[in-house]
Amino acid sequence: MGIWDVITELVEAAAPWSTADAEAPAEVPEETKAEEPEEEAEEDEEEEEEEEEPVDPKETLEEECKNSKECAPAKHHFDECVERVTNAQENGGTKEDCVEEFFHLAHCASQCAAPKLWSILK
Amino acid sequence: MLARSCLRSARAFAGLRNGAVHVSKRAASSSSSGANAESPLRLNIAAAAATAVAASSIAWYYHLYGPTADAATPAEEGLHPTKYPWVHQQWFKTFDHQALRRGFQVYREVCASCHSLSRVPYRALVGTILTLDEAKALAEENEYDSEPNEQGEIEKRPGKLSDYLPAPYKNEEAARFANNGALPPDLSLIVKGRHGGCDYIFSLLTGYPDEPPAGAQVGAGLNFNPYFPGTGIAMARVLFDGLVDYEDGTPATTSQMAKDVTEFLNWAAEPEMDDRKRMGMKVLVVTSVLFALSVWVKRYKWAWLKSRKIVYDPPKTPNTPPRL
Ligand code: HEC
Repeated sequence: MGIWDVITELVEAAAPWSTADAEAPAEVPEETKAEEPEEEAEEDEEEEEEEEEPVDPKETLEEECKNSKECAPAKHHFDECVERVTNAQENGGTKEDCVEEFFHLAHCASQCAAPKLWSILK
Repeated sequence: MLARSCLRSARAFAGLRNGAVHVSKRAASSSSSGANAESPLRLNIAAAAATAVAASSIAWYYHLYGPTADAATPAEEGLHPTKYPWVHQQWFKTFDHQALRRGFQVYREVCASCHSLSRVPYRALVGTILTLDEAKALAEENEYDSEPNEQGEIEKRPGKLSDYLPAPYKNEEAARFANNGALPPDLSLIVKGRHGGCDYIFSLLTGYPDEPPAGAQVGAGLNFNPYFPGTGIAMARVLFDGLVDYEDGTPATTSQMAKDVTEFLNWAAEPEMDDRKRMGMKVLVVTSVLFALSVWVKRYKWAWLKSRKIVYDPPKTPNTPPRL
């Protein structure tokens, strides 16, 4: 954030006139109120059409990250481990698990997705 | 005037004394180096030895304390959450109150059926999350014990702003019974009560993978979550895309709801944060004013010293012998 934000916020914090009250926002005048329901109805329709099922950006971003060059080593290890362990399980069981490999991959992916995710979320 | 001249003479005296000390010191050092001069070889050996001792002490330290031994496997420790750039963690930012409002909605519609929030009264919500009327209406939705009437009977009354949010279960036993023996913790202070704080809660809520990694052991009635220490958590994934309908039209994705509810829980754990930052800014303002004032006062007080001029006027004696 710029130095100007800091200054304006300092001023706002010190200024006695900038207060927010907990009261409900003033009643909307009658005329606009009458129109509202229609608008809302329209919006609802639009929403239903457009956003039937919102897609979680975290999952898409992390999936992209997992397949990126950055996480290639972790993904390689994880995939190899999964293959090894599933094979071993089929041939009579093993004590090995891929939790640690999963951790490394998940850590890499979420680390890579974090800033992008925060720029999308509100 | 008298006082000032006294001061000045005292200063002059102090100056003299310092000079004297200085002179004697110099004499001492020059005499010692003159008397028994060290040979350069011996000096080099001393320096090399001191360096060797320093280096080996560092090596010894790392030998003793360098390698760390973990008492837990990574799975037992849990995956450390990624750091997210929360707005309210910036120095000059308040809570995002729109997000708090959404987060409270998520808490009420999703988490409140299992988790209590016993340290938050309705009055705390006024002005931060709800308007006065909304908070009153919300409080009145629930019934609370009233004072005993004249017959000593305790009747029910609608909630007031001073009441606390109701708990979903009567007591711990009831909570455990309903949740397969696991106790859903009270969420009032959960952000402060867990390593990683907000990052942990957010990661926990969004971190359930579609299926546990190959070979992972998941106990009966538990769910795999990499962020929970031990990876087996009794709480199943609770947030799914589109679960709530936000009144401000924000798309209710899993991560959006998790982010909002986490911010709300952070508010619940430290509702004083906005005031604290405001106080901090006031402190900055006051100290900067005082600092500016002190600079001006210093200029004023030092003016006589800074503006004086010392002039050496050599005596004009006509019969000085000519210099060589
Ligand atoms: C179906 C009931 C249920 C719902 C709904 C639920 N939880 Fe939980 N939650 C639990 C149980 C049970 C535990 C205890 C898990 C354990 O100890 O293994 C728990 C534990 C937790 C923990 C503590 C984890 C830890 O580190 O100890 C947090 C934080 C949490 N829940 C947050 C939430 C949030 C936020 C929501 C709403 C989005 C929510 N829960 C909804 C049942 C629930």
